[in-house]
Amino acid sequence: MSSLVGFLSLVFAIGINFYLFLSRYIFKFQKQKFNLFIRFSSLLTLLSFFSLMYAYVVSDFSNYNVFQNSHSNKPLIYKISGTWGNHEGSMLLWLSILSIFSFFFSFTKNIEDNFQKLTLIIQAFLHILFGLFIVFTSNPFLVNSILVNEGLGLNPILQDPGLAVHPPILYAGYVGYSIVFSIAIAGLFQNTDDEWLYVAKKWSLISWTFLTGGIALGSYWAYYELGWGGWWFWDPVENISLMPWIAGLALVHSLMMVRGEQAIKKWIVFLSILCFSLSVFGTFLVRSGILTSVHSFAADASRGIFILLIFFIVTGFGFLVFLLKEPKKSNALNLLFINKVSALVINNILMIIATLTILLGTIYPIIIEVLYNKRISVGGPYFNSTVIPIMIPGFLLMSIAPILSWQTNKINNSKKYVLAFIILSILVLIQSYFLDFNTWGFVGLLLGFWIILASIIAIFSSYKIKINIKFFKIINPHVAHIGVGIAIVGITCSSVFQNELDFNLSEGDKFNINGKTVLFEKIETTNEINFQSLRGKFLFDIEKNQSKEIEAGKNYYPVSKMITSEAGILHQWNKDIYFILGDQKNNEWFVKVLINPFVSFIWLGVVIMMYSGLIAVSRR
Amino acid sequence: MKLSHFFRVLYITILSFVFCAFKTLAVENIDERVKNLTLELRCMTCQNQSIYDSDAEFSNDIKKIVKQKLQEGESERDIKKFLVERYGEYILFRPLMNYNNIFLWSFPFILLIIGLFFVLIKTKTKKA
Repeated sequence: MSSLVGFLSLVFAIGINFYLFLSRYIFKFQKQKFNLFIRFSSLLTLLSFFSLMYAYVVSDFSNYNVFQNSHSNKPLIYKISGTWGNHEGSMLLWLSILSIFSFFFSFTKNIEDNFQKLTLIIQAFLHILFGLFIVFTSNPFLVNSILVNEGLGLNPILQDPGLAVHPPILYAGYVGYSIVFSIAIAGLFQNTDDEWLYVAKKWSLISWTFLTGGIALGSYWAYYELGWGGWWFWDPVENISLMPWIAGLALVHSLMMVRGEQAIKKWIVFLSILCFSLSVFGTFLVRSGILTSVHSFAADASRGIFILLIFFIVTGFGFLVFLLKEPKKSNALNLLFINKVSALVINNILMIIATLTILLGTIYPIIIEVLYNKRISVGGPYFNSTVIPIMIPGFLLMSIAPILSWQTNKINNSKKYVLAFIILSILVLIQSYFLDFNTWGFVGLLLGFWIILASIIAIFSSYKIKINIKFFKIINPHVAHIGVGIAIVGITCSSVFQNELDFNLSEGDKFNINGKTVLFEKIETTNEINFQSLRGKFLFDIEKNQSKEIEAGKNYYPVSKMITSEAGILHQWNKDIYFILGDQKNNEWFVKVLINPFVSFIWLGVVIMMYSGLIAVSRR
Repeated sequence: MKLSHFFRVLYITILSFVFCAFKTLAVENIDERVKNLTLELRCMTCQNQSIYDSDAEFSNDIKKIVKQKLQEGESERDIKKFLVERYGEYILFRPLMNYNNIFLWSFPFILLIIGLFFVLIKTKTKKA
């Protein structure tokens, strides 16, 4: 029953959007009526989504999608998250988020009526495209032709709180760029004043913040769930999310130039189209299954081709409009070597190069396989030795970029900065002599700390310190950059200075980590609702009274016959101690302990960046 | 101070420090070399995991082979060549820098040069 409601409301919503799309040419609407229709179709799409969710919650196995991807003995939260833990449901989630964005955009004030209407019509067009995609190739409301009372279960690796919220947040980022796309296209058509740039800035900041959160959640999940000790693997799926993130960052920065009346409208429109194109392209690569191997494409041919078609329509349409409807000539740029304008231009160039390099590295194996029928890998080492060196000048620039002037290429207090930089370099060099030396470690620490230090100097020497909201808005760019600096320090430390210790232990053994004694207490097995667990219990620092307990082990999910590893992590502010329980041999367990210094800094940096993203939304 | 000078100072400092860094790079021991090499090899039986990080049987075998060959004095290049002959280029996370992959490796740096040119041509060196 709920499936029927869901399907009908989905079709009805697409119909309304079709009607609205035609309204540009045939039926003219008044603004109020138009907006009401948009909101109504959004609510219908949401109704469709929630009826699918309802089917999951009540384990309605007459729905084929629920039967394929759910199981009645899962905890409630994974029944809910199971809604988007599969291809069909996640596409419906995509469409629902698109609708939510249209819904909120219809309430935007201070914006020209025609402009808003045109933006929403483009949104309606996107809704139709993705809606038809769902109805024809990925319908989550199909009826199960056989009568069953149990489902096949959700992939256990997805049964995790972090991964339950990761898709909606990530999608909010991806799909958020649809509204930026629509605004930019509408801006090209209407081409009246510059007001749309401010609107675009707001929405692109919102999308970027969501995307940041989504990516961070995904990599945090990889960190504790995969049990490999790392948190970023330059995996194709990760790269795909990174591309719109970097392009979106470039967009946000080039929209900053509006404030200096230096905006290059053409470039902004280009980036807006690029961001959404990359989002759709990412969806295509992930959803078509093309990524694991070119050959699995055949299995999902219709879906892959359909999304590819959408991708070409969106990108082609976007760039075609871009070429035909050139924006009004902007003022000539005041580019000096180096002032704020050229710093922002350099930043944009570097980010685009990084994006394109990641794009090439991600699709290169696919191209080679198609052309030469040969499998090759393009992995972390390639990206580390191309993307990172290219970004280094950008990292240097960003340390003081926010206080640069629009007009001149002079800087105040420059001696202070140079002195601080040299002292910092010596300190980092001394520190490196005491630890094992590593060039990347040295460069990373120097850059990270330099960004933090320069931003702090800039805040204290350029503004009067006050504690109020306005002040936090003014120093917001510096705060964002401090967040980046902190993240760089965390990334450098945890990847370069990671330490691995291997042990073979029997129950009751004691061993040593960094001078602390650890007791391998026992092995315990338990039966949970939907899995069996095997846990090694460790007591960390037993000499102290408050020794910490750590559990590391594996879970076995009988429904899908899969084993997942569950790392035990002891979080400390300056390091994570990461326990992995291996296999048993001759009554001894293999235990791998990784010491990851300053991982917490990465998450702290990300949180600061997201905070600044939100603050920037409220700043004109 | 002009900003371009300012960044020149920063750049020279960072480069000279990196130079010092390379100079002082200690001779790596064998485990270190095994680590560096196996980090760049794909575990063929896992999902996108390096041989160093993985504890799969396949990876442990390769680790042993790599260590043995390094001890026998073979160069990293020879070892990679040996592995490619056995398992194909798919095992290398760092694609070979050869004629076939010239586009892959030069692309970012060509873009960088174009970008640099663009900035240099468009900027006015004198104060406007």
